[in-house]
Amino acid sequence: MRDLNAPANPLETLAYIIAQQIEDHSVVYIGTGIPMVAGILAKKTHAPNITLVYESGGQDPIEGDMPWSVGCPMTWRKSPTIMEMSYSFAQCYNGYVDIGFLGFAQVDMYGNVNTHMIGKDYHQPKVRLTGSGGNNDLSSLTEKMVLVGLQTPDKFPEKVDFVTSVGWLAGDDSRREAGLIGNGPAAVISPWGVYDFHPVSKRMRVKSLTPGVTFEIAQQLTGFELLRPEGDIPDTKLITPECLKIIRTQVDPRGVFTIMPAA
Amino acid sequence: MAKFLYNEEALKNLRIRDTSVLDRLVDFESAREAHLKKEHAKKDKRMPLDEAIATFVKDGDVLTDGGFSYVRTAHQAFYEIIRQGKKNLQMIGAPNTNQSFFITYGLVTHSHSSYTGAEMRGIDKVYDRALKEGRITILSEWSHGGVAQGFKAAQLGVPGVLSKQMLGSDLVRYNPYLKVVQNPLKADKDPAVFVPALYPDVSIIHCHAADKYGNAYIYGPAVNDLAVAAAARKLIITAEEIVPENDIRYNRQGQIIPFFYADAVVEMPFGALPGSMPGCYYWPRQWWEKCMRFGGSSEENNRIFCDEWILGTKNQYEFIEKLGGARWIAEARRQTKAAEGDNEDIDFSYDEFTLTHDPGRYY
Repeated sequence: MRDLNAPANPLETLAYIIAQQIEDHSVVYIGTGIPMVAGILAKKTHAPNITLVYESGGQDPIEGDMPWSVGCPMTWRKSPTIMEMSYSFAQCYNGYVDIGFLGFAQVDMYGNVNTHMIGKDYHQPKVRLTGSGGNNDLSSLTEKMVLVGLQTPDKFPEKVDFVTSVGWLAGDDSRREAGLIGNGPAAVISPWGVYDFHPVSKRMRVKSLTPGVTFEIAQQLTGFELLRPEGDIPDTKLITPECLKIIRTQVDPRGVFTIMPAA
Repeated sequence: MAKFLYNEEALKNLRIRDTSVLDRLVDFESAREAHLKKEHAKKDKRMPLDEAIATFVKDGDVLTDGGFSYVRTAHQAFYEIIRQGKKNLQMIGAPNTNQSFFITYGLVTHSHSSYTGAEMRGIDKVYDRALKEGRITILSEWSHGGVAQGFKAAQLGVPGVLSKQMLGSDLVRYNPYLKVVQNPLKADKDPAVFVPALYPDVSIIHCHAADKYGNAYIYGPAVNDLAVAAAARKLIITAEEIVPENDIRYNRQGQIIPFFYADAVVEMPFGALPGSMPGCYYWPRQWWEKCMRFGGSSEENNRIFCDEWILGTKNQYEFIEKLGGARWIAEARRQTKAAEGDNEDIDFSYDEFTLTHDPGRYY
């Protein structure tokens, strides 16, 4: 059983902030990990009528225990239908999906994502990561994308080591010129801040920061020059005690995704 | 004269000089020829697993990973491929979670890569090490959706599809099969990616039930398997149970692979182990944690783990014994039924394997 009185950890903080992006009655495409926690949290709190979609084909499940993987039976528990993989992504292209959530290993100043490899030489990477999975597909097709991950200067470089998924590509109108559809990345969420993109240049900009984090601290955690919004930077709304309790008792009681991973 | 006009930039980036290694995956003519030469008569195709693998999996074949990572994948048949020591295989799948078992024994030398890893359980360190040491070469980088569209194009019976996925990314710069083209019906600039139909040499699909002719029923996510079954030059069906043809006809409407796609039918209870099988059994979750964490920690430990579980078992029954025997079967069945919604009250807690704690049990 989890300690219900412990302060929120970064993963729980992240799950709450992501959940706040979800509007009720929307169709939400969910990647593995924290996005799953956020989707189910939203459903159990302010957005009880959302429909969750997963890339292995499960969609619209009746929630059970926390899915252990995007292929887990919990992702298609009592689902009215299960999609083949090609049809699942096609729902994003065809405009049936409102918002998608994905993780990253690196994200750059234009919201391009890398989940392939770290290092400057493709043939001799420092470390090979998983590859795209559905990351590229959702980024290419989904109307509104939200990117989620941890923030350090290495994870927020000026240019990603490999462009797994295109965000705003090289800024301005380059995403659309490359032929991609959807509105591109709307937000990047880390435990320290919520970032959006300048409407014209498409460069990453601070939207709100976790209480205690100043613009200067956020800048130090970033490998490129962050844009500052006009006026004061608002605080990100912190997780409420009620939502923290719901995560720990109902959404992820065994901490599959919200306890910092073991070695 | 090369047979196909591959994406030159990708060939350069991937350092592929001899392109013949790429040809079979997109060679429609030879796939159609193979489909025409298959046994089309409704005959009994049952055979033992070792015979099916010896007959239909050849050195150099392009092999697919069916199911979805650790869900309904024909692991036990893969282990037989390892025991028979096939060589120089290529692997494509969405995802390619199980490729590393082949890499460990040097069977797979070329990868068409879309996703290799275990989600929150971490990256695949065996794959990482093999790439750095040059024991495996990546022939093409894909997204899941791109691979899915290539298989689906084969099932649709078209040379390829125009996709809006992968545009602008490095995937099109590291995939010789992809080309960016203009949508021919649009007056304005409208780039799309041509994804060719993909024809793997051999696919092994684990199903819930099959008749002796090869009509095969899948419950739960089919993922890409209906498309893959239509595309593959050779198809081995492994099934949890063999049922009368009329059982398929009257009771199993839904996701069916037609009998004339199948070359071999193998009765294979628990054939998805150590993966899960919808409706039948849940994962031995600690097994995968041990595989990723202990096996991932060094090549030596990976070999110890694989030798114990893959070469150290002759068949799925010995594998079940190592997992915990009848007790394991009962727990795994109970968990999967509950996960799918038939029992609201089950507790999914389990004792997690970490490098400092081995619970010694697998449910």
